[in-house]
Amino acid sequence: MLRFILADLGRMKAGALVIVALVALAAALGVAVTLQERALRLGSARAADKFELVIGAPGSETQLVLSTVFLQPAALPLVGGDVLAALHDDPRVAWAAPVGFGDFHHGTPVIGTTARLISETAPGMAQGRMFATEGEAVAGALTGLAPGDEITPTHGELGHDHENVRYRITGRLAPTNTPWDRAIMVPIQSVWRVHGMAAGHDHAEDEAHGSLDPDTEGPRQSADHDNPESAAQHLVEGDGHGDLDSAEQEHVEDEAHGSFHPDAPLPEEEGWHGAPGVPAILVKPATIADAYKLRQDYRAQEDTMAVFPAEVLTGLYATLGDARQVLAAVAAAAQALVAVALLLVTLTHVGQRRRQIGALRALGAPRGAIFAMVWGELFALAAAGIALGLGAGVLAARLLSAAIAQRQGFELPVTLTAGDLAGLALLLALAALLSALPAWLAYRQPAVASLRG
Amino acid sequence: MLSLALTGVEVGFPGLDTPALSIPRLSVAAGGQLAIAGPSGSGKSTLVNVITGLERPGAGQVLWNGTDIARLPESARDRWRGANVGLVMQDFHLFPGLSALENTLLPARLARVADRALAARAAGLLAEVGLHRPAQKVETMSRGEMQRVAVARALLRRPGVIVADEPTASLDPANGAAIGALLVGLARRSGATLIVVSHDPALIALLPRRLTLAGGVVHEDVTEPA
Repeated sequence: MLRFILADLGRMKAGALVIVALVALAAALGVAVTLQERALRLGSARAADKFELVIGAPGSETQLVLSTVFLQPAALPLVGGDVLAALHDDPRVAWAAPVGFGDFHHGTPVIGTTARLISETAPGMAQGRMFATEGEAVAGALTGLAPGDEITPTHGELGHDHENVRYRITGRLAPTNTPWDRAIMVPIQSVWRVHGMAAGHDHAEDEAHGSLDPDTEGPRQSADHDNPESAAQHLVEGDGHGDLDSAEQEHVEDEAHGSFHPDAPLPEEEGWHGAPGVPAILVKPATIADAYKLRQDYRAQEDTMAVFPAEVLTGLYATLGDARQVLAAVAAAAQALVAVALLLVTLTHVGQRRRQIGALRALGAPRGAIFAMVWGELFALAAAGIALGLGAGVLAARLLSAAIAQRQGFELPVTLTAGDLAGLALLLALAALLSALPAWLAYRQPAVASLRG
Repeated sequence: MLSLALTGVEVGFPGLDTPALSIPRLSVAAGGQLAIAGPSGSGKSTLVNVITGLERPGAGQVLWNGTDIARLPESARDRWRGANVGLVMQDFHLFPGLSALENTLLPARLARVADRALAARAAGLLAEVGLHRPAQKVETMSRGEMQRVAVARALLRRPGVIVADEPTASLDPANGAAIGALLVGLARRSGATLIVVSHDPALIALLPRRLTLAGGVVHEDVTEPA
């Protein structure tokens, strides 16, 4: 029986291959959609893993999460430095660290933060040591930078250089499999200074809610922008508190770059009193209960917003899930289309084999054997296609994940679950059922059909 | 070793007034050899279908050693035919991709009766019909060789009756004569009843009894004195 099926398949190799390929493509489509969506969900959840509570100025919660977790460039309002100080002193907080973005080095985000945040979120240094002065920086695992390299940040991805500002890379982090692997971390103090808002001594200090980026204060200053589109690129936006006039603004900017002190030590434990504003603060609550209390407190305040990134992502996943359902429906429709096409082909095929089937029966093959043969042949093709499709789908998802990881820096783990296999089993059962139709027709074929054409 | 007795067999086709086949009485002794001749449309094929159980007559009995196969349900008729009838057809119905031996064994395998002994018998039969390469794929064979495989296949399960439907019609005269001689000789040696439908005068001449059909009825039934 098996030999007969194999011989028969061997006789129509090309057709069999096309059928297997069709089934494989349809199955792969479904598998890839499911796997990729799950990978995206898992990968982003892992990227957000260390970000338990993020506090920022009121605005889009989603944007706050996307900007802090995924480093997506966006203009965020600033939250006052007093909030940072209050969090630092709060017993419910294990640690809190500012996250300041807006600067880039050849497209790589330059993030102002603290050594504490880096050591808490990364598994350790792959090379070199943590930054210790304002002129030092730590590179993410995938930046391609090594200790000893020097960088000059630009303001915004296409913005002007911060002249006179030069960071020296002192260490490279071990991979975290998050977008932060593609970032350069510098001390937040230096970011403040570069943007003319350092705490304490500079004359920008009087404006605690002041912008990290005085340039973007408003359209009235457009005169001093020689490339207005760069203004749009500026990622950290003034919150309207700035009442510096435009002349003073210029002055501050110049003064600020002048005041970059690469060798200034980092007084991290000072408690952030009098610190300037930051776009986001990452908070590690002492306990889970504290996390909820903190979120509630900072939600209640008028000038702050507190979010659990995991929660915001869950909301995003719901949207993602809807998209997946649409794609899954499309994949299912493609599978149905393939099934119908195959049914048509096989029915024709059985029709063409009337004589052969009749002859087998005339020679004494039982009808059950005929049924089993036709069914076995079709099901073997479908099963081979589905198995191949599973492999192709997983491979496609892996390749896509690798491509995304390459670009975005966060890992998208492709995993198969029991549910997927159950889905494939269902597909197999469906194939078995569909194969039975032509087999039934063959079974019903009168034996007499064989003898004379 | 099977005897055939037809009584009151009528096969009609819808829309046709006269039956395609009408045989009030016909009997063939066990081990007998019968040629059936007649022009196209005379009912030869219908008669073959009826006596092999491929087709159920509208009326009448088809008794093989007393078993009325006209009354058997379809699956039982298939089983009966597989066990008792050796069928040789005009266009061989061999299955490409399989060897001579595999083709010989195929129906028995599908019926799940092939065992080691039967496989050995298949090889022996192939040698007997003059084929010495049982592993040769059938699609590489000549037509004469193909029909030899079909003959070996027909004989495999030691059928009580061998029914050959135009076994030489698609062969050249030399091969036709060889196949005819093989059929007659093998049937005689095994004791099987042989029924051959043929146009081929050379083949008909080998058989002692000749039945001529015309318009669905027996026109002539001649037995040559032995």
